[in-house]
Amino acid sequence: MHVIRLAIRNAAGNSFRSWMVFFCAALMAGFVISATLVIRGADDSLRLALERLGADIIVIPEGHERRLESALLMGIPVHCWMPDIIVDEVAALPGVVAVSPQIYLSTLRGAICCSLPELFLIAYDPATDFTIRPWLELNLDAGLALGETVGGSFVYVPAGEDKLLVYGYELDLKANLEPTGTGLDQSLFFTLETAYDIARLSDEYAVKVMDIPPRTVSSVLVKVGRDADVHQVAQLIEAEIPGVTPLETNKLFKDQREQILSLLHSVVALLVITWLLAMALIAVVFSLAVNERRRQMGVMRALGARRGTVLQSVLIEAWLLALSGGLAGIGVSTLAISLFQRAIIAVMNVPFLFPPPLRLAGLSFGALAMALSGVTLAVLVPAVRISLQDPAMSMRE
Amino acid sequence: MISLQNVSKTYSVRGDSSVLAVRNLTMQVEKGEFVIITGRSGSGKTTLLSLVAGLTWPTSGQVLLDGIEVWRLADKEQSLLRNKKIGFVFQFPSLLPTLTSVENVLLPTMFGDKVKGDRSRDRAVMLLEQVGLNDKLRSYPRQLSGGQQQRVVIARALMNEPQLLLADEPTSDLDELTEHEIMALFRNIHALTGVTVLLVTHSNDLAGYGTRLIRMAGGAITDLDD
Repeated sequence: MHVIRLAIRNAAGNSFRSWMVFFCAALMAGFVISATLVIRGADDSLRLALERLGADIIVIPEGHERRLESALLMGIPVHCWMPDIIVDEVAALPGVVAVSPQIYLSTLRGAICCSLPELFLIAYDPATDFTIRPWLELNLDAGLALGETVGGSFVYVPAGEDKLLVYGYELDLKANLEPTGTGLDQSLFFTLETAYDIARLSDEYAVKVMDIPPRTVSSVLVKVGRDADVHQVAQLIEAEIPGVTPLETNKLFKDQREQILSLLHSVVALLVITWLLAMALIAVVFSLAVNERRRQMGVMRALGARRGTVLQSVLIEAWLLALSGGLAGIGVSTLAISLFQRAIIAVMNVPFLFPPPLRLAGLSFGALAMALSGVTLAVLVPAVRISLQDPAMSMRE
Repeated sequence: MISLQNVSKTYSVRGDSSVLAVRNLTMQVEKGEFVIITGRSGSGKTTLLSLVAGLTWPTSGQVLLDGIEVWRLADKEQSLLRNKKIGFVFQFPSLLPTLTSVENVLLPTMFGDKVKGDRSRDRAVMLLEQVGLNDKLRSYPRQLSGGQQQRVVIARALMNEPQLLLADEPTSDLDELTEHEIMALFRNIHALTGVTVLLVTHSNDLAGYGTRLIRMAGGAITDLDD
């Protein structure tokens, strides 16, 4: 016989009490892991999206700020144009060390000339690009040639085909970028040369012409020098170049960030309430259990159990229930979040990125440790009280 | 083996009131004796057993077991001493409901440093056979009658080969026939092992099973019958 076996038998001996503690522990751990996954997932997603952009400032035509954020976050295509002379104007400003133009396009919804509907298309200039080129050099050893493309993590070549069809133009999908949880995951990247080629041939192959107004760009990505202040450069762009809006990328997704922050506050409040209620319930349940087993504890003491052994037997029983409940809570929550990622994004209107396995394991371990600590705290008082009680008194009661 | 000198025990109860359970009691029990302590409910019999085992401390006086004041020992030594030297048979159902007969008998081995593993299991089975429960090894307490449960408790009390067997009203919930069977079992154990037995009962009819009778009333000894 071992004290662990005794604790298992005791836990199995009262199924209602055990299920109650199991459920509370599942709730505690499940809530922690869910909240952490969603909040961290949203935060990571925004951070990765900003990293993917790689620019300090994005200059776009005035009035398109919201639509650009929607495009980057949710993959809702945006169409905006401004004269390409702005690229040189921005490059000439003090503090700016690199500029690169981009053109934003989209596939056609429900058209046979496009194999994927409503895809956000980003054309970049390989000569000046500093956002996607480093990734390409690292992962493909070269840039993209005419007719080649890389896609976000959700972009795929339809079954039975070997090319992506965009405006009837066959694109060779060379690779997929790592997921960000944002609209960038459902975007296609190719060179400006490819974009102009698609536009040129769309008249012949597509149900609708892809229109790129001559001598225009959709945005200018700006990299600021180390010594320069991003905000001051942005102010300078706004003052010097009329009709454009410089978006500081570290201030992008402000609404989403505020939403995440407010969500965090609500979740923390809810978490505290849930934990307090769960801990109170566990404390009551274990107080009842300990009272019920007062004589049993007295008998154990009479048979030679030390105070520590009595304490151990109660704590181990609680830990076993907390461990099994916690694992179940984490498992169910993680599965639910993984299955309903899309619904979470739609309901909360924030991007979401499911963490990689190693981080998930770390978060799960943390949630489990927190549930164990919570249950231990709740059980400690009745467990210590019974272990300190005079055995003769325990047996009399 | 057991020596009590002017021992008193007062329990404080709710509020400021207190109950004097044992009053200025002095007695000696020699090794190998089978002492029956009788008296009405509330006469202090159970408290006397608790004092001897160090399960509660005396308000005044001295309780010695083999020359040691058990209740003064540190928790570890006190527990080890109880585990090694004393076997308990309680008045109330004291088997752990979630354990089988064998597991209940093995319980004391969990708390001490005596034989463990197969040897202790063999001994538990042998003890259950000795008390006539060889067909109830895997039964849970709820599947046993009151008399059978008490037999398991007696087997458990003997598991660590104690020098002292303390029995508190071991037959109080049993019918007359079973009561005498259990008492005969105590007598046989005493005769076979030479263990010192201190048995508390409210029934004067059982006095004949012991080698000595002590009568208690109001927390004090009223009669010593050798």
